[in-house]
Amino acid sequence: MLTSPSVAPAREVTRTPDRARRRTLVLLGLVAALAATVLASLALGVRDIDPAVVWDALTGWATGAPLPDDQDHRVVVEQRLPRTVVGMAAGAALALAGTLVQGVTRNPIADPGLLGLNAGASLAIVISSVILGVSSPLGFIWFAFAGAAAAALLVFSIGAGRPVRLALVGATVTALLTPLITITLIQSSTAFNLYRTWAVGSLAGVRSAALADLWPFLVAGAVLTAAMAHRMNMLALGDDVATALGQRVGTTRVLSGIAIVMLSGTATALVGPIALIGLAVPHAARRLVGTDYRWITAVAFLLGPVVLLVADVVGRVVMPHSELEAGVVAAAIGAPVLIAVARSRSLAGV
Amino acid sequence: MTPSPTNTLPTAPNAPHGVTGDAADDGTDGLRHAIGRLRTARRRRLGFVLGTCVAALAVLGTLGLMLGDSTIAPGNALLAAFGAGDGGDLFIVQQLRLPRVVAAIVVGAMFGLAGALFQSTLRNPLASPDILGIAAGASLGAVSGLLTFGLAGVAVAASAFGGGLAVALAIWFFAWRRGLHSIRFVLVGVGFAYLCQAFMTWLLARADEREAASALLWTVGSVADVRGDDLGILAGGALVLMAGGAAVARTQRPLALGDDNARALGVHVDAARVGTLLLAVGLVALATSFAGPVAFVALVAPAIARRLLSDGSPALVASTAVGALLVLAADLIGNHQVFGVAAPVGIVTGLVGAPYLLWLLATNERKERP
Repeated sequence: MLTSPSVAPAREVTRTPDRARRRTLVLLGLVAALAATVLASLALGVRDIDPAVVWDALTGWATGAPLPDDQDHRVVVEQRLPRTVVGMAAGAALALAGTLVQGVTRNPIADPGLLGLNAGASLAIVISSVILGVSSPLGFIWFAFAGAAAAALLVFSIGAGRPVRLALVGATVTALLTPLITITLIQSSTAFNLYRTWAVGSLAGVRSAALADLWPFLVAGAVLTAAMAHRMNMLALGDDVATALGQRVGTTRVLSGIAIVMLSGTATALVGPIALIGLAVPHAARRLVGTDYRWITAVAFLLGPVVLLVADVVGRVVMPHSELEAGVVAAAIGAPVLIAVARSRSLAGV
Repeated sequence: MTPSPTNTLPTAPNAPHGVTGDAADDGTDGLRHAIGRLRTARRRRLGFVLGTCVAALAVLGTLGLMLGDSTIAPGNALLAAFGAGDGGDLFIVQQLRLPRVVAAIVVGAMFGLAGALFQSTLRNPLASPDILGIAAGASLGAVSGLLTFGLAGVAVAASAFGGGLAVALAIWFFAWRRGLHSIRFVLVGVGFAYLCQAFMTWLLARADEREAASALLWTVGSVADVRGDDLGILAGGALVLMAGGAAVARTQRPLALGDDNARALGVHVDAARVGTLLLAVGLVALATSFAGPVAFVALVAPAIARRLLSDGSPALVASTAVGALLVLAADLIGNHQVFGVAAPVGIVTGLVGAPYLLWLLATNERKERP
């Protein structure tokens, strides 16, 4: 199943030209898809804007020219550009976190939302805002990290090793934290109003200032993920084999855990608890480029933003006047993937 | 089909050990004698467990009638419950406290029985409507009824019933692949739970604040406002479905032995499973439609009941009694501010049930690891 060069050189040699070409094509196709999605995200919405005008507005903004008194230019630069950038960042973060979770647990049914990390971050954010009165994203982020990390520790320590159990522990932790969130929210109507608009997972009205504060965590998480990719390949062969090949398995787990918490905690603080993107994207990536985690990571990095932006644009276009938030569309995309995984034959032995 | 590794329903093995010892000494008569003794012991244990549950229900129920803004003496409270006593007590007990106690008992019994049916027929102690997404479907039905269509009263209940049933059927449809594999059923259910959750959050996000807050409370589960006609419909439906439960009970013990063994014993496995699941879904949807998804009762009650009986049976009757006891106790705790705030019953059961489930998952893992 896994054919990294050090393991099966003979098979790899015969299949290399074909596979390398295919993988390169996939990457190029994804870059094109990302460009198209970004354009769609800038152009479509309540007010459809001509791509040429979008281009004008972007180049004008990039050269630092003063904003012309044109409604279309304003919409593109002031509303859709920040929204698109935040969507790209959050989409990449969610997809990379999902890839890492699936790799480090060797578990096809893993995703930061499914494993209760989002619920942990949500509870921490709710508590910090209701009880401590925190309201800035940079204030939230440490609580989000702490909540996600605590949930991750709990879930991994109980569920490690058995894929189905891990998913169930995650669902249970979510079910445990949800009443706690509810009972905290009942006490404060301002917090409830903040929470319900945030919990739905929307890119609308996302503070690009928040991204300006939080981008270092995303970059650090992405770099750490890239560094872990090769270790994931060895880990896929089992802990014993990875150890025999000279890897410190414990170090891999700890570093991956830090990257997962940083990526999913930041994404949750930015756009709310969006579930199932982290599940669906790595599966699609595996279909596209095979089981080498270096390629899966690269594909997930490009595909995550595409999926989240598509979810956002679909939500804008389907319900032009009230908007279907990206989190809802993402769940509608992700749930069928989970169901397909559950139906796949490979699960019979889990 | 091999039984799933998560199948930890206590099965017969601990029983036959003693039996074979006797059989070796005394032959067939001895065996028959030993089985007879075992049966008597089990019956006695079941009687003891059920008797204790009923006694505890009576005590807690009386407490529920007595306590509140004005405390009523136990004798007067019971008299008032049966329609005697003086005017003030009569009103408080008959109109306010008795419906709540009865609703807690009925809802708890329904969740307990439904959980036992789910777990025995799917042979998975983790199968519960909370995890399967059926509770989430019912919540989505109720929340959309409350917020989008402006329904009230029985119409909300009907909407919740429809939501739960629709999700159950959808899980079924997608999980069916040459038979109903229990892990597939659970995972597909988890997927639907997230989908329903997402749409529910979406509805809550765009509703008027006060309506959204009351809908949010509904999703927690409460037995405080089930009275009058609602209570009548609930109790009537519960009786009908429980009679159905008695009818399918016979097939549950063979099913616990695995599909192949059950077939060999003459059980039509798929038909039995379909019938049982329909009943269980009906129980959950009906109870949820009036009281909301009271968290984890359906999961925890059968686990406790099986442990109390420890005879390898699906413990349907005992689960019903334990479920009623759990919800009644949790409602008393939540209503009388034991935690400092008046909490709806679902929050209390969630805070007790979820850690229990985590503990169950943690200890099961240890047992399975070689």
